[in-house]
Amino acid sequence: MTAVEPRAATEPGGTGPEETGPGGTSPVTTGSAAPTATSWLARRNPTVKAAILLAASLATLGFLDPRPLLALYALALVAVAASARVPARTLLLAQVPFVVFGVGLVAVNALSRPGTPLVEGAPVSVEGLTVGVALALRGLVIGVLTIGFLSSTPPRDLMVSLVQHARLSPRYAYSILAGHRMLAAMPARWATVRAAQAVRAPLRRGRPRFGLADAGRAAFALLVTSIRSSERIALALESRGLGERPRTVWRPVPIGRADVVLVLLVVAGWAAAVVLAISL
Amino acid sequence: MSETTERRPSRLPLRDIVLMVMLGVVFGFLYWALVQAWNGLAVAMGPAGDLAQHVLLGGWLLVAPIAIAIIRKPFVGIIAEVIASVVEVVFLGSPVGPLLLVAAAIQGAGSELPFALTRYRQFGWGVYALSGLLGAGLVFVWSAFRFGWFGQDILALRLGMQLVSGILLGGLLAKVIVDRLYGTGVLDEFAIGRAGAADRGPVVRRER
Repeated sequence: MTAVEPRAATEPGGTGPEETGPGGTSPVTTGSAAPTATSWLARRNPTVKAAILLAASLATLGFLDPRPLLALYALALVAVAASARVPARTLLLAQVPFVVFGVGLVAVNALSRPGTPLVEGAPVSVEGLTVGVALALRGLVIGVLTIGFLSSTPPRDLMVSLVQHARLSPRYAYSILAGHRMLAAMPARWATVRAAQAVRAPLRRGRPRFGLADAGRAAFALLVTSIRSSERIALALESRGLGERPRTVWRPVPIGRADVVLVLLVVAGWAAAVVLAISL
Repeated sequence: MSETTERRPSRLPLRDIVLMVMLGVVFGFLYWALVQAWNGLAVAMGPAGDLAQHVLLGGWLLVAPIAIAIIRKPFVGIIAEVIASVVEVVFLGSPVGPLLLVAAAIQGAGSELPFALTRYRQFGWGVYALSGLLGAGLVFVWSAFRFGWFGQDILALRLGMQLVSGILLGGLLAKVIVDRLYGTGVLDEFAIGRAGAADRGPVVRRER
């Protein structure tokens, strides 16, 4: 009750916190100086990009025809390479997991789906092959878009933008960012637990044994230490006033006219690719 | 979003939110390690690699029942699953992409339903098993739609594998983990610790 009055006093014009920060108009600069940080896509609003990514991924579910999906895949590859400035080699290497997954999808569907056989006597059906290829292409389209999103969006900007523009509670946003920090420390923690285990482990041919049970024990130790540190983090965040409203945002992430252009470009490109592929 | 600063009783304390994030991070990290190992298996098994994944499906359900059992508040299972998927997609770069968030929300809802029906008061083996069963069953419908499983000869095999995996890895294993965590004393400050203190008398807390 008492905290309502100071809020009204500090925000006389009723403006949101996003307009009070110092860097509202300057381009976004983050701690990690990634080479892609200056690309056109990297300067777009993360919330808008995330919304486009989710909408585009859901839209691929509407197709079970490989032709429009192939057109969308080609378009997405070109668009991501051009707008996010992802190096060709990185883009190709990032495709490998999707291709592997796609090969499995094609094989399982071609073999396990009833229909007219591709070759007389062979267990491969035309329908199964078509559906399998379409599903694999779906994964590839979503994959390319995800690569474009992740390579052009620093996590910190995404979280700040979600607080500003998507009404995500700062309590969740800052908790997730704290979790991000912990994630970076996770391999080191794992190594510490493993080292402690290795000291006590019985030797096999001069080396400490590390079986499945040891892996489970290490994972459990990781869980226990992480729960303890989560209590400490919560205490630290609360002692810095998190959870008290209102909050101002340091280095706010802007949303502008170019973000509208991005949405229009995606919708137009998507429609053009689908119409062209189906009419051909 | 109400503008008053008065705390609504349904609002989660920051400690519980950070715990859910931390569970998501730890399991995200462990899943990442697991996925690396599984990828090799999938390549080695060729066409059957797609099927082999179902054996591990229950593991992806673990976060929800664990978070519910510790925090004991409505929607915690759904929120915990979604946070874990955010960690997987945004920070670990999961190839599944944003559709993982949708799957996570469905999984969380399925896992949470049995606990919600007992009004977050019963945490026996049966409730955990049902949680794993429903979590796996609900998300199966979504996966089947997404990967076009309907019309395949092996639909029933897929469903059976996922349900069994859900019960074992996504339900019963969660109870084992929660009970062991409770035994270490790290959960004393959470709802499970307070409930336990009322039910079973004082717990011997290990020195930190």
